[in-house]
Amino acid sequence: MPAPPFLTPVEDSVPKVNNEIAIGENLDFQRKWWRLERAVWSLFLLILICDLLGLFGRGWLSKATRATPDNTLKLDYERIERADTPSIMTFHFGPNAIHNGRIQLYVSESITRPLGAQRIAPEPLISAVGDAGNTYTFAATNAPATVQIELEPSFPGAHDFTVQVPNEPPINAKVFVVP
Amino acid sequence: MAIFVILRAVFGYLFLVLMVRIVGRRPGKQLTPFEFVLIFYLGGLTLTGMVGNEVSLTNAVTQIITVALCHYILAALRYRFDAVAQLLDGTPLILLEHNAWRAETLAQMRIQDDDVMDMARAQGIKDLSGIDTAVLEAFGEITIIKRDDNDAEER
Repeated sequence: MPAPPFLTPVEDSVPKVNNEIAIGENLDFQRKWWRLERAVWSLFLLILICDLLGLFGRGWLSKATRATPDNTLKLDYERIERADTPSIMTFHFGPNAIHNGRIQLYVSESITRPLGAQRIAPEPLISAVGDAGNTYTFAATNAPATVQIELEPSFPGAHDFTVQVPNEPPINAKVFVVP
Repeated sequence: MAIFVILRAVFGYLFLVLMVRIVGRRPGKQLTPFEFVLIFYLGGLTLTGMVGNEVSLTNAVTQIITVALCHYILAALRYRFDAVAQLLDGTPLILLEHNAWRAETLAQMRIQDDDVMDMARAQGIKDLSGIDTAVLEAFGEITIIKRDDNDAEER
């Protein structure tokens, strides 16, 4: 014989309006919710404005430029990047960077990982590893000369990097990757 | 990393729950084409961020299980705590009672008298004077309680 079902008596648990209809309206809660909704819509608007300005990458505020004192190396990059989204880091070389038709560029390992270097244009003649980074050698004629590295960072967070033309002061900077 | 796959799924689910709750309920028994666009578009956009470039079956199964677990936990909390139920579903709201509109509720919920009359007609009520109480339910439908004939005579 099957066990009897569990039964509990029906109680007047849903609040009534005017003691007539059980509706369960809670206007106090709803007024608080409407206030919260207005605050959230304002927050959404603020997020969109920040996004348009580039606070979450790919905009005006995210662009950055660093250079050595004598402009031997000038670097254009995005200080705020988005994860798994391509971006370009551009190196501009002055006349002092070219020696015997060659330009050498040292980039720290963080450019490869976690900032995710995908491609270098133009292709370097020589890539050498060491000193916690890579040193690329490019064929060059006269200044101005430009090299680009395509990045696609995978790891959110703040990442430091260093780039340097040998015998010149290094450029140290930080990239913040948003998810 | 595996943990990011799970965190992305949790975030995507909770963010969509918040968005759908904030965008608000609209009266009606079925989704309008306008709401279909919203739901599918939100879902599609969330999917892009949740999956990322990890398109393996393992990733899909893990994320589906994560979303199912999140849903189970929210449903359990909703059953256990009235406060959670109110947060997730909202509360029924009276739109009209005893011949008076609740103007604040109508304005905040962006509901017009036409919306109430639509539902009233479906019950064979000819005009607004035939309505005793109109309630916007937590699930978005407008419930109409007819005025008793005796009631109408008294008033």
